[in-house]
Amino acid sequence: MSVGINIHQSLRHLTNGKAIVEVDGNTVGSCLNNLVQQFPGIKPKLFDEKGKLLNYVDIYVNLESSYPKELAMPVKDGDKLSVTLIIAGG
Amino acid sequence: MLTRDETERYSRQTMIVEIGKEGQEKLKKTRVFIAGAGGLGSSVAIYLTAAGIGNIRIVDHDTVELSNLNRQVLHWDRDIGNKKIVSAKGKLKRLNHNVKIDAIGERITENNISQFAANCDLIVDAMDNLPIRYLLNKVALEKNIPLFHGAVYGFEGRVMTIIPYKTACLRCVYRGVMPGDKFPVIGTTPAVIGSIQATEVIKYVLGIGELLTGRLLIYNGLDMQFTEFKTKKDPQCEHCGEKRL
Repeated sequence: MSVGINIHQSLRHLTNGKAIVEVDGNTVGSCLNNLVQQFPGIKPKLFDEKGKLLNYVDIYVNLESSYPKELAMPVKDGDKLSVTLIIAGG
Repeated sequence: MLTRDETERYSRQTMIVEIGKEGQEKLKKTRVFIAGAGGLGSSVAIYLTAAGIGNIRIVDHDTVELSNLNRQVLHWDRDIGNKKIVSAKGKLKRLNHNVKIDAIGERITENNISQFAANCDLIVDAMDNLPIRYLLNKVALEKNIPLFHGAVYGFEGRVMTIIPYKTACLRCVYRGVMPGDKFPVIGTTPAVIGSIQATEVIKYVLGIGELLTGRLLIYNGLDMQFTEFKTKKDPQCEHCGEKRL
Protein backbone atom coordinates (compact mmCIF):
# COMPACT_ATOMS: atom_id res chain seq x y z
CA MET A 1 0.00 0.00 0.00
CA SER A 2 1.58 3.26 -1.09
CA VAL A 3 1.09 6.48 0.81
CA GLY A 4 2.81 9.79 0.13
CA ILE A 5 4.16 11.74 3.10
CA ASN A 6 4.66 15.46 2.67
CA ILE A 7 7.76 16.29 4.68
CA HIS A 8 7.94 19.55 6.61
CA GLN A 9 10.35 22.04 5.08
CA SER A 10 12.65 22.01 8.12
CA LEU A 11 13.02 18.21 7.97
CA ARG A 12 13.81 17.82 4.30
CA HIS A 13 17.55 17.82 4.88
CA LEU A 14 16.90 14.48 6.61
CA THR A 15 15.11 13.01 3.57
CA ASN A 16 17.79 13.87 1.00
CA GLY A 17 15.83 16.99 0.13
CA LYS A 18 12.70 15.06 -0.78
CA ALA A 19 9.48 16.97 -0.20
CA ILE A 20 7.34 13.85 -0.65
CA VAL A 21 8.39 10.37 0.40
CA GLU A 22 6.45 7.30 -0.70
CA VAL A 23 5.95 4.78 2.12
CA ASP A 24 4.13 1.54 2.81
CA GLY A 25 1.70 1.13 5.68
CA ASN A 26 -1.93 0.83 6.67
CA THR A 27 -1.87 3.19 9.65
CA VAL A 28 -0.26 6.55 10.30
CA GLY A 29 2.13 4.80 12.71
CA SER A 30 3.25 2.12 10.25
CA CYS A 31 3.72 4.75 7.53
CA LEU A 32 5.92 6.82 9.84
CA ASN A 33 7.87 3.70 10.82
CA ASN A 34 8.49 3.02 7.16
CA LEU A 35 9.63 6.61 6.73
CA VAL A 36 12.07 6.16 9.62
CA GLN A 37 13.39 2.94 8.05
CA GLN A 38 14.13 4.84 4.87
CA PHE A 39 15.54 7.90 6.65
CA PRO A 40 16.63 6.98 10.22
CA GLY A 41 17.86 10.53 10.94
CA ILE A 42 14.29 11.81 11.03
CA LYS A 43 13.24 9.62 13.98
CA PRO A 44 14.21 11.99 16.85
CA LYS A 45 12.41 14.83 15.06
CA LEU A 46 9.13 12.90 15.17
CA PHE A 47 9.24 10.65 18.23
CA ASP A 48 10.42 10.89 21.83
CA GLU A 49 12.65 8.25 23.43
CA LYS A 50 9.62 6.11 24.27
CA GLY A 51 8.43 6.12 20.68
CA LYS A 52 5.58 8.55 21.33
CA LEU A 53 4.84 11.20 18.73
CA LEU A 54 6.26 14.54 19.88
CA ASN A 55 3.50 16.88 21.04
CA TYR A 56 4.41 19.54 18.49
CA VAL A 57 4.28 17.16 15.55
CA ASP A 58 0.90 17.19 13.90
CA ILE A 59 0.04 14.61 11.26
CA TYR A 60 -2.73 15.28 8.79
CA VAL A 61 -4.30 12.64 6.56
CA ASN A 62 -5.69 14.07 3.35
CA LEU A 63 -5.58 17.53 5.01
CA GLU A 64 -7.59 16.36 8.05
CA SER A 65 -6.07 16.06 11.50
CA SER A 66 -5.19 12.54 12.64
CA TYR A 67 -5.72 13.62 16.28
CA PRO A 68 -6.67 11.96 18.61
CA LYS A 69 -6.07 8.56 16.95
CA GLU A 70 -2.78 9.76 15.49
CA LEU A 71 -0.53 6.70 15.05
CA ALA A 72 -3.48 4.29 15.10
CA MET A 73 -5.38 6.11 12.40
CA PRO A 74 -5.91 3.86 9.39
CA VAL A 75 -4.79 4.96 5.94
CA LYS A 76 -5.43 3.53 2.51
CA ASP A 77 -3.62 3.34 -0.78
CA GLY A 78 -3.15 6.76 -2.33
CA ASP A 79 -3.69 8.73 0.88
CA LYS A 80 -1.57 11.80 1.48
CA LEU A 81 0.02 12.41 4.88
CA SER A 82 1.39 15.79 5.92
CA VAL A 83 3.95 16.16 8.68
CA THR A 84 3.49 19.63 10.19
CA LEU A 85 5.26 21.19 13.16
CA ILE A 86 3.42 23.48 15.57
CA ILE A 87 5.17 26.83 15.57
CA ALA A 88 4.63 29.77 17.89
CA GLY A 89 6.87 32.61 16.77
CA GLY A 90 5.42 36.09 16.46
CA MET B 1 -20.55 59.44 11.61
CA LEU B 2 -17.43 59.75 9.53
CA THR B 3 -15.66 63.09 9.46
CA ARG B 4 -14.74 64.77 6.17
CA ASP B 5 -11.13 63.64 6.68
CA GLU B 6 -12.24 60.06 7.27
CA THR B 7 -14.61 60.07 4.31
CA GLU B 8 -11.76 60.99 1.99
CA ARG B 9 -9.13 58.85 3.75
CA TYR B 10 -11.19 55.68 3.39
CA SER B 11 -12.76 56.51 0.03
CA ARG B 12 -10.95 53.74 -1.84
CA GLN B 13 -12.18 51.08 0.56
CA THR B 14 -15.71 52.41 0.96
CA MET B 15 -15.90 51.95 -2.82
CA ILE B 16 -15.86 48.22 -2.08
CA VAL B 17 -19.49 47.15 -2.21
CA GLU B 18 -19.10 44.93 0.86
CA ILE B 19 -17.75 47.84 2.93
CA GLY B 20 -19.39 51.11 1.95
CA LYS B 21 -19.85 54.00 4.39
CA GLU B 22 -21.94 51.87 6.71
CA GLY B 23 -19.17 49.29 7.00
CA GLN B 24 -16.60 51.99 7.59
CA GLU B 25 -18.66 53.29 10.49
CA LYS B 26 -18.73 49.78 11.94
CA LEU B 27 -14.94 49.62 11.73
CA LYS B 28 -14.75 52.97 13.50
CA LYS B 29 -16.84 51.68 16.39
CA THR B 30 -14.75 48.54 16.82
CA ARG B 31 -12.39 47.93 19.73
CA VAL B 32 -9.50 45.53 19.11
CA PHE B 33 -7.02 44.04 21.57
CA ILE B 34 -3.72 43.19 19.89
CA ALA B 35 -1.49 41.03 22.09
CA GLY B 36 2.09 41.71 21.03
CA ALA B 37 3.85 44.52 19.19
CA GLY B 38 6.48 42.38 17.47
CA GLY B 39 6.55 41.03 13.92
CA LEU B 40 2.93 39.96 13.69
CA GLY B 41 1.73 42.80 15.90
CA SER B 42 3.42 45.36 13.65
CA SER B 43 1.77 44.04 10.52
CA VAL B 44 -1.69 43.64 12.08
CA ALA B 45 -1.62 47.02 13.85
CA ILE B 46 -0.46 48.94 10.77
CA TYR B 47 -3.21 47.55 8.54
CA LEU B 48 -5.98 47.83 11.12
CA THR B 49 -4.93 51.41 11.86
CA ALA B 50 -4.81 52.28 8.17
CA ALA B 51 -8.22 50.65 7.66
CA GLY B 52 -9.78 52.81 10.36
CA ILE B 53 -10.47 50.45 13.25
CA GLY B 54 -11.61 53.02 15.83
CA ASN B 55 -9.91 51.77 18.98
CA ILE B 56 -6.78 49.67 19.22
CA ARG B 57 -5.37 48.43 22.49
CA ILE B 58 -1.89 47.02 22.00
CA VAL B 59 -0.01 45.33 24.82
CA ASP B 60 3.68 44.41 24.93
CA HIS B 61 6.24 44.63 27.76
CA ASP B 62 9.40 44.43 25.63
CA THR B 63 11.92 47.04 24.56
CA VAL B 64 13.15 47.43 21.00
CA GLU B 65 16.39 45.60 20.13
CA LEU B 66 18.50 45.80 17.00
CA SER B 67 17.73 42.17 16.16
CA ASN B 68 13.99 43.03 16.02
CA LEU B 69 14.33 45.38 13.09
CA ASN B 70 14.34 42.81 10.27
CA ARG B 71 10.65 42.13 10.83
CA GLN B 72 9.09 44.41 13.45
CA VAL B 73 8.42 47.27 11.07
CA LEU B 74 6.75 49.50 13.65
CA HIS B 75 10.16 49.92 15.24
CA TRP B 76 13.07 51.73 13.68
CA ASP B 77 16.78 52.31 14.41
CA ARG B 78 16.05 55.35 16.54
CA ASP B 79 13.68 53.32 18.77
CA ILE B 80 16.31 50.87 20.02
CA GLY B 81 16.16 50.74 23.80
CA ASN B 82 12.68 52.28 23.97
CA LYS B 83 9.51 50.46 24.99
CA LYS B 84 7.88 48.85 21.99
CA ILE B 85 4.48 50.28 22.81
CA VAL B 86 5.87 53.84 22.86
CA SER B 87 7.41 53.26 19.47
CA ALA B 88 4.24 51.56 18.18
CA LYS B 89 1.87 54.25 19.42
CA GLY B 90 3.95 57.03 17.88
CA LYS B 91 4.01 55.38 14.44
CA LEU B 92 0.36 54.37 14.46
CA LYS B 93 -0.83 57.84 15.50
CA ARG B 94 1.18 59.37 12.68
CA LEU B 95 -0.24 56.83 10.25
CA ASN B 96 -3.85 57.63 11.21
CA HIS B 97 -4.61 60.26 13.85
CA ASN B 98 -8.29 59.25 13.86
CA VAL B 99 -7.58 55.94 15.59
CA LYS B 100 -7.42 55.82 19.37
CA ILE B 101 -4.35 53.86 20.41
CA ASP B 102 -4.26 52.51 23.93
CA ALA B 103 -0.68 51.29 24.33
CA ILE B 104 0.11 49.27 27.44
CA GLY B 105 3.67 48.31 28.34
CA GLU B 106 2.96 45.39 30.64
CA ARG B 107 3.64 41.69 30.53
CA ILE B 108 0.44 39.73 29.85
CA THR B 109 -0.35 37.39 32.72
CA GLU B 110 -3.24 35.29 33.97
CA ASN B 111 -4.04 38.08 36.44
CA ASN B 112 -4.24 41.02 34.06
CA ILE B 113 -5.34 39.52 30.74
CA SER B 114 -9.03 39.91 31.50
CA GLN B 115 -8.68 43.65 32.01
CA PHE B 116 -6.71 44.00 28.76
CA ALA B 117 -9.51 42.27 26.89
CA ALA B 118 -12.24 44.25 28.70
CA ASN B 119 -14.64 46.10 26.40
CA CYS B 120 -12.91 44.74 23.32
CA ASP B 121 -14.83 43.16 20.47
CA LEU B 122 -12.11 40.72 19.53
CA ILE B 123 -8.53 39.64 20.22
CA VAL B 124 -5.60 39.36 17.84
CA ASP B 125 -2.99 36.80 18.86
CA ALA B 126 0.37 38.25 17.85
CA MET B 127 2.36 36.65 20.64
CA ASP B 128 5.57 34.66 20.41
CA ASN B 129 4.95 31.88 22.91
CA LEU B 130 2.37 29.19 23.55
CA PRO B 131 1.57 29.82 27.26
CA ILE B 132 0.35 33.37 26.56
CA ARG B 133 -1.45 32.18 23.45
CA TYR B 134 -3.33 29.71 25.66
CA LEU B 135 -4.25 32.57 28.02
CA LEU B 136 -5.59 34.54 25.07
CA ASN B 137 -7.57 31.51 23.97
CA LYS B 138 -9.08 31.13 27.44
CA VAL B 139 -10.02 34.79 27.82
CA ALA B 140 -11.57 34.81 24.34
CA LEU B 141 -13.71 31.85 25.39
CA GLU B 142 -14.61 33.47 28.73
CA LYS B 143 -15.67 36.71 27.08
CA ASN B 144 -17.17 34.92 24.08
CA ILE B 145 -15.25 37.05 21.60
CA PRO B 146 -13.28 35.79 18.59
CA LEU B 147 -9.55 35.14 18.55
CA PHE B 148 -7.49 35.72 15.43
CA HIS B 149 -4.45 33.44 15.67
CA GLY B 150 -1.19 33.74 13.77
CA ALA B 151 2.29 32.25 14.21
CA VAL B 152 5.53 32.27 12.24
CA TYR B 153 8.80 30.37 11.92
CA GLY B 154 11.33 30.99 9.18
CA PHE B 155 9.52 31.19 5.86
CA GLU B 156 6.48 29.45 7.35
CA GLY B 157 3.39 30.91 8.94
CA ARG B 158 0.01 29.73 10.07
CA VAL B 159 -3.25 31.49 10.71
CA MET B 160 -6.77 30.62 11.80
CA THR B 161 -9.86 32.37 13.10
CA ILE B 162 -11.56 31.07 16.23
CA ILE B 163 -15.19 31.73 17.09
CA PRO B 164 -15.75 30.58 20.70
CA TYR B 165 -17.63 27.30 21.09
CA LYS B 166 -18.53 27.24 17.40
CA THR B 167 -15.18 26.39 15.87
CA ALA B 168 -12.08 24.54 17.01
CA CYS B 169 -10.21 26.65 19.56
CA LEU B 170 -6.45 26.94 19.87
CA ARG B 171 -6.32 24.19 22.51
CA CYS B 172 -8.36 21.86 20.31
CA VAL B 173 -5.61 22.08 17.71
CA TYR B 174 -2.40 22.64 19.70
CA ARG B 175 -0.84 20.26 22.20
CA GLY B 176 2.70 21.57 22.25
CA VAL B 177 5.10 23.74 20.35
CA MET B 178 8.55 23.47 18.83
CA PRO B 179 11.14 24.01 21.57
CA GLY B 180 13.46 27.02 21.72
CA ASP B 181 13.45 30.61 22.97
CA LYS B 182 14.56 32.31 19.78
CA PHE B 183 13.10 31.37 16.44
CA PRO B 184 14.36 32.09 12.93
CA VAL B 185 12.22 34.39 10.81
CA ILE B 186 12.34 36.54 7.69
CA GLY B 187 10.28 39.73 7.93
CA THR B 188 8.06 38.92 4.98
CA THR B 189 6.54 35.97 6.85
CA PRO B 190 4.87 37.99 9.66
CA ALA B 191 3.97 40.58 7.01
CA VAL B 192 1.97 37.93 5.12
CA ILE B 193 0.43 36.31 8.19
CA GLY B 194 -0.36 39.60 9.97
CA SER B 195 -2.05 40.89 6.83
CA ILE B 196 -4.25 37.81 6.71
CA GLN B 197 -5.13 38.24 10.40
CA ALA B 198 -6.06 41.87 9.76
CA THR B 199 -8.17 40.85 6.76
CA GLU B 200 -10.00 38.34 8.92
CA VAL B 201 -10.67 41.00 11.57
CA ILE B 202 -12.14 43.37 9.01
CA LYS B 203 -14.32 40.63 7.50
CA TYR B 204 -15.54 39.56 10.94
CA VAL B 205 -16.45 43.12 11.96
CA LEU B 206 -18.32 43.69 8.72
CA GLY B 207 -19.89 40.24 8.62
CA ILE B 208 -18.70 39.64 5.07
CA GLY B 209 -16.93 36.88 3.18
CA GLU B 210 -15.92 33.48 4.47
CA LEU B 211 -13.93 33.44 7.68
CA LEU B 212 -10.93 31.19 8.17
CA THR B 213 -12.81 29.08 10.68
CA GLY B 214 -12.60 25.32 10.95
CA ARG B 215 -9.49 25.69 8.81
CA LEU B 216 -5.81 26.12 9.56
CA LEU B 217 -4.02 27.93 6.75
CA ILE B 218 -0.30 27.19 6.50
CA TYR B 219 1.87 29.43 4.34
CA ASN B 220 5.14 28.10 2.99
CA GLY B 221 7.07 31.03 1.60
CA LEU B 222 9.90 28.89 0.22
CA ASP B 223 7.63 26.78 -1.98
CA MET B 224 5.15 29.67 -2.18
CA GLN B 225 2.25 27.44 -1.26
CA PHE B 226 -0.78 27.98 0.90
CA THR B 227 -2.25 24.75 2.28
CA GLU B 228 -5.54 24.55 4.11
CA PHE B 229 -6.00 21.89 6.77
CA LYS B 230 -9.36 21.08 8.32
CA THR B 231 -9.65 21.57 12.06
CA LYS B 232 -12.29 20.12 14.31
CA LYS B 233 -13.52 20.80 17.81
CA ASP B 234 -12.15 18.39 20.38
CA PRO B 235 -15.01 17.32 22.70
CA GLN B 236 -12.38 16.61 25.36
CA CYS B 237 -10.68 20.01 24.97
CA GLU B 238 -9.68 21.41 28.35
CA HIS B 239 -10.45 24.96 27.21
CA CYS B 240 -13.73 24.64 25.30
CA GLY B 241 -14.84 21.02 25.68
CA GLU B 242 -17.23 19.34 28.06
CA LYS B 243 -14.48 18.77 30.60
CA ARG B 244 -13.06 22.28 30.49
CA LEU B 245 -11.07 23.35 33.52
